[in-house]
This record gives sequence, structure tokens and C-alpha cells, in this order.
Amino acid sequence: MSTIRLSQSPRAVRQETASVSLRAIGFNGLTRSRSSRVIVATITLGALTIALLNLLLQIASSSAVYELSSLQIQQRSLATTTQILGQQVDSLASDQNLANAAQKLGMISNANPVFLRLADQTVLGKPTAALGTDGRVSSNLVANSALVATSNLTDLTAATASNGSATTPAMTAGTGSIPQAAGLVPVKSNVVTSGSTVVSVVSSNGGIPASPTH
Amino acid sequence: MTYLTPGDPKRRAKRVRWLLVIVLAIFAFRLIDLQIVEAPKIDAISYSNRAVSRVLPAFRGEIIDNAGKVLARTIYKYDVNAAPDIVGPFVHKSNGQDINVTVDQAAGQIASLLGMQQSEVMAKIIGTTKYSQIAKAVDASTYLAIKNLGIPWLFFDPRPSRVYPNGATAGNILGFLDPDGNPLEGIELAQNSCLAGKDGEETYEKGVDGIRIPDSAVTTKAAVPGKEIKLTINSDLQYFAQQILTANVAKLKADWGTAIVIDAKTGNILVAADAPTYDPNNPSASPADNRGSRAFRTSFEPGSTMKMVTAATAIDTGKVTPETHFYAPYGLTIPNSNGYRVTDSEVHPTSKLTVAGVLRDSSNTGAMQIGNLVPWQTRYAYLQKFGIGSKPGSGFPGESAGLLNTTTTWSNDIVKRYVSTFGQGISVTPLQSAMAYQAIANNGIRLQPNLVQGCVDASGIMTPVVPTKAPVRVVSAATARSTMDILEKVVEQGPIGRYAQIPGYRVGGKTGTAQIIDPATGRYGNLHAISFIGMAPMDNPQFVVAVTAFKSRTVSNSLGATPIFKAIMQQVLRTYRVPPSTTKSANIATEWK
Repeated sequence: MSTIRLSQSPRAVRQETASVSLRAIGFNGLTRSRSSRVIVATITLGALTIALLNLLLQIASSSAVYELSSLQIQQRSLATTTQILGQQVDSLASDQNLANAAQKLGMISNANPVFLRLADQTVLGKPTAALGTDGRVSSNLVANSALVATSNLTDLTAATASNGSATTPAMTAGTGSIPQAAGLVPVKSNVVTSGSTVVSVVSSNGGIPASPTH
Repeated sequence: MTYLTPGDPKRRAKRVRWLLVIVLAIFAFRLIDLQIVEAPKIDAISYSNRAVSRVLPAFRGEIIDNAGKVLARTIYKYDVNAAPDIVGPFVHKSNGQDINVTVDQAAGQIASLLGMQQSEVMAKIIGTTKYSQIAKAVDASTYLAIKNLGIPWLFFDPRPSRVYPNGATAGNILGFLDPDGNPLEGIELAQNSCLAGKDGEETYEKGVDGIRIPDSAVTTKAAVPGKEIKLTINSDLQYFAQQILTANVAKLKADWGTAIVIDAKTGNILVAADAPTYDPNNPSASPADNRGSRAFRTSFEPGSTMKMVTAATAIDTGKVTPETHFYAPYGLTIPNSNGYRVTDSEVHPTSKLTVAGVLRDSSNTGAMQIGNLVPWQTRYAYLQKFGIGSKPGSGFPGESAGLLNTTTTWSNDIVKRYVSTFGQGISVTPLQSAMAYQAIANNGIRLQPNLVQGCVDASGIMTPVVPTKAPVRVVSAATARSTMDILEKVVEQGPIGRYAQIPGYRVGGKTGTAQIIDPATGRYGNLHAISFIGMAPMDNPQFVVAVTAFKSRTVSNSLGATPIFKAIMQQVLRTYRVPPSTTKSANIATEWK
């Protein structure tokens, strides 16, 4: 083994080393490579940014959808509440409720109106007291099964008797989440109602039947 | 001992590359198969698993009166359903505390809110099915109360439902829907094309939790709500008229009654009341016969209210004046009629009456003589011009044309010709009678009765929906004035008409006590259709009120109808702020010597 190594002259080794020639690298090639890397890096970063933004948007929209769903549920609930209150207002404003309330208050309509003509200050018509029973408002005779609320005039009449010292009744939670007037007592009617729970709405101090809510 | 030989790395790499190519080719093939070849089919299966479609019900339009008051609207009602296969005890949070609720307790709570027995509810929620309906169409308050119980195995289906806030007020006109929302009667039926909306549809994709998937394709066809129908009815007056009519029909023990108020200058129907009637919120509670409007559909022989037509015809043709003299005996035999004798309602000596007096006393014999002065063909034509025998065209479905026999029948039947002068042998609806008087009140021009003002869209634009009829000049303005003067004498001096007097106002009108043919015998029976039709104020009539009570049993003449007329007319005059009259009636003689 050592024989072989000794057989090779140091000169030959030098010659072989000298045969590897150095070559200059062109400046242009180096530039091309660096710009390619910049492009690749830009594209990669851009893609990553877009993906990240997309992810963020997805998260945001997902959360918005859940929020939207929650708001829609809330909207439906409020619409239901609005409907219930609307029906109570309809009932309070109905002819049947007003006629019954007027009758309970002993109201009498005067069938002989009198007009004052401003042009010549003439009184048209013959003033007559509305005391006859002809003009007395009769209790309701027209059926209405859609009534869900009626005026409770007990407090009003009591207030009138005690010189207008009625107090506005406290409101308490009633059926479901809809606030109702205190002391919900089904009001007897001379016309049968069916299919719904009738609640009474107490008049406030002003004498106008008050809605269960303010 | 065996050693792994390194082999040829180049060949090995080449084999790996080929293997990779083959695997990639297989994947590519499968990818193309899935993504392109079978893609539509897979998409469809996937979409059907995720997509949820539901109908968006369209709300039906409202019906409002002439002041905009809502008479019919659509609200949501709720079906209460259970899923029996998952029924079980549950935990309900109340004021921050967990409360264990058993099935029995839950059933008891549901039953008390629905007005049912607990056993009934239990029977509906126990089982292995996935669906069981506990209650149908409960109102929103009840729905909310049940929902707040927090029962996890209950679910609710909203359904549009029609509600009539004023109940039976104008119920006879409004009509009603069946449980499926199809119109069955009245304006609901006649104007369905305006009131009905168009259902929409919504399709979206949902996740496992039932929440809509973000960016999922949503196809929505928006529901188009129905439009609004505006009536000519004044619902406050309508209610008043129904109150008065209902009370008096009961007092008279009559089969039924009607009351109509017409705006004489426009033909608008302000009131069309029936008694008995029905509540459209609960139509099944009333007999089928009462679920319509007799004011528009039921015709009958009107009797003496038609004497106004006879007098107006004779005056307009120049045959008489309001003061033309007649002998009015108790009875008269119709010539060439095999002795058909017509009598007045009460025995009396022969009276010396003018045309105005004939109407004041409602003399049948006098009316026959007045009518006989006019050729029957002419009188027939006048009856047609007054609207007898033709549908008024109000827009209410199924209105009757009444009966006016053909000219051939009249030419062959002298009795029919004669008795038509006092309202027999012809039949009219209460609305037709009212419109005949409207023609007089409107200076001789008969208008089309209007019940529906129009169909109002979301932008507030109103479109007429009832075919219009041209006004008809029935008699001259002078004849109309003379006829009005005669009608005023009926109320001023008439034995029954005077009960229609309203203090402070000039009122005119005519009584009617019509015999009714008994279908069993084919002859006139003992019961009558009593009427009073009048107008006010007579210096320039604004309103016509027509009242009828059919088969009145406690009062057999029009004295039973007059107080109803008076009460309603008083209310009409007060409602529309009509000032009391400041002029006096015409000086017309009703008798002569």
C-alpha cells in the first residue's frame, strides 16, 4: 500500500490540481436568481396573506352568521310581542269594548245635537237634555270572539267617587313575557267570546283606558 | 451472510419516479372523475343533504273602513307540536336555578295554558313517533307562555291567521276564510285577487347545528304581501246600526232584519247591517243562513214603499201633480180580473186624498188609480230605471236582482200590473229599495251603490276593482223634488210616519207593510215584512236609511220599523255633523173637499 503511494510523484499531484481551472461567474446570472427569489417570496407572502385574510373573514362571517341568527330570533320574539300588544290595542279600541265601557259608566248619547253657526251667531237645533232612556247606550249586542282585553273601569268609577284620587295600578308580569295590568280578571260579557283569554285593562287616572304597557 | 448491494442509484431513482407518476396518474384520474365527470351528481346529493327549503307565507291584505279603521288583518297563530320519541324529563332554568321538570309536570303546564286536560296532553306526547300535534292555531300569548316553559321536545309552527278585530261588526260584509286560508264569503271572496299575496320561497344550506352555513348559496323568492281593500262602510255607524237592529229584531220577534245607510250624493254604502249575523272570527258558531248578507241577497215583495215609485212615475210622465185629487175607497176590484179585489189595510170610508195624501195614508186603492193613469209599458220602464229587476252592482258577491216579471207576463196578467203599483208581484232586495229612494234624494239620478272604494297598493295608490255603472236619470229634478215633498208629508202627517220625526230636522220617508206568501199554501200569510225607508235633511237630502224587519210577530205594521229608522238616522246626522234644518216643508195639500 505504501509502495503504491510512494510510486506517485508529488509533481503529478500538483499537475492534476492545476488542471482544475477557475471560472468567473457572470454578474447577470446572479441578478436573475435574486429577482426570482423576490418574486417567489412575494407570491408566497401574498398567498399566505390572502389565506390569512380569508381565514379571518371566514371566522368573522361565521361569527356574524351566529349573531344574525340570534338577532333574527330576537326579531321574531319582538314581532310576537308586537302582535300581542297590537291585539290588545285592537280589543280596547273595539266597538264592543267601548260600548260596554260607556254603558258601565252610565253614558247617555244626546240624540238632539245643537249647532252654533258662527257666521250669524245662530243656534241651530233645540237644546234638549240627554236624560231620556232612548239615548242610553245599550250594552254590547254584537259578538266579538277576537277580544283579548277589555277595559276594567272599577278603579275609574271608584276614583270618580273619591273626587278623582285614583292611582295608576302597578303593572305586573302576566302571561309569558308580555306585561299585563294587575288583577287580571276575566270580564263578563253579554256576548259570548271564545277561543282566547280575555284580560281586563285598568283605566288610568286620566279616564282613558290604559294599555297594559306604557 | 448477505449484504445489500447498492445497485444502480440512477435506475432506482428512475423506478421511484415512474411509481410516483403512476400513483399521481391514478389520483389525477380519480380527481377528474370526481371533480368533472361525477361532479354534478355528487353536488346534487350533497346539496340535498344540506339545503333547506321553506315557503315564506305571504300576508293577506287588510280590509279597512272608509276612515282607515282595520276590519280584517292577518296575524300569526301557532301550532303546538311535540316529538314524542324524545319526550322526557328536562331541566328548566328559572331565576338562575335549575329545576327538574317531569313529563307529567310539563304536560300539566301545557294543559293549563291550552285549556286541555292533562290526560289529553299526555296521550299526545307519549309514543315513539317523531311528530304529534297537541294544539292547532293557538294565539300568540298562549304560544309565548308555552314557549317560555322551555320544554325541549316541543316545537311550534307559525301559520298566518285572519282576525277581525271588531268581531261581528260588518262581519256580514267582510266574509271569512276556511281554516286553510281560502276565502268563502263576502269581500274576502269577492276581492280575493287584491287581498291575496304570493308566497315566497327560501332555500339555504345548514350545518349540523341547523345554523345557516356562511357563504352558502341562498335562493330567496320574496313573499309578496296582498293589497288592501278600502270599503265605503263607516264601521262606527255600522256597529250602531247593528246594535239597534239586533235589539229591535229580538223585540219584534222577527226572522231577520236589515238596515242600510246610503250617502245619497255618492251612492256609497255607509251601513249594511243584518240581524242576526255572525262573527267572522268564529263563523261556525252561527247557522249557515246567517253567514251572508240578506241586505244584498234576499228579495221579497216590498209592499207600500214602492208607492213612492208609482207616484214619481205618474208625476214624471205628467199624469199627476202632488195635489191631484183621488177618491180612495177601502176596496177596489181590478177590472177584467175575475173579481180580484184589492183593499187597504184597515177599513175606512172613501177618502178624498191627493197624491200626497195617498202616500201619507198608504192607500192601496189610491196607488192603483195613480199607477193606472200611466201606460203599463211606461211604468214597467220606470221600474227598470229605478233599478228593479237588475243587480245593483255594489261589488258584494251573490247580490240578487230581485224579480220583475217579463213584459209578456205583465201583458197577460192584469193583476200583476195593478198590484205592482203598491209593491206586490215584484220583489226587491233591501239594497234595491234603498237605491230607488237614493235616486229621488239625488234629484232624480240613480247611482251605482258602492261598497268597495278600491284596492290600495303599498304605495297608497288606489285602483277601482268593481266595474262601474253609469248613473241613470230616472226622473227629472222637478219630479224628484215633488216626490221628496210628498215623502216629507208622510213623516209630518202620516199615522205611522210621524214616528220617524227627528226634532230639528226635516225628514221624509215611506212606510211599508208587505204581505208574505206562505210557501206551504201559496197564499199570503199573516206575517209581514215591515219597512221604513226615508231620507234627511229634506231641503237637500244627504242620507237614505232603509230598514226592514221580516216576519215581525209582536208589531205587524211598519210601526215596528220606524223607531229603528229614527235611531239610525239620528246617529247618521250627528256623525256627519249635519246642522238642523232651517227651512220649512212645502205647502202641499194631502186631502181635498
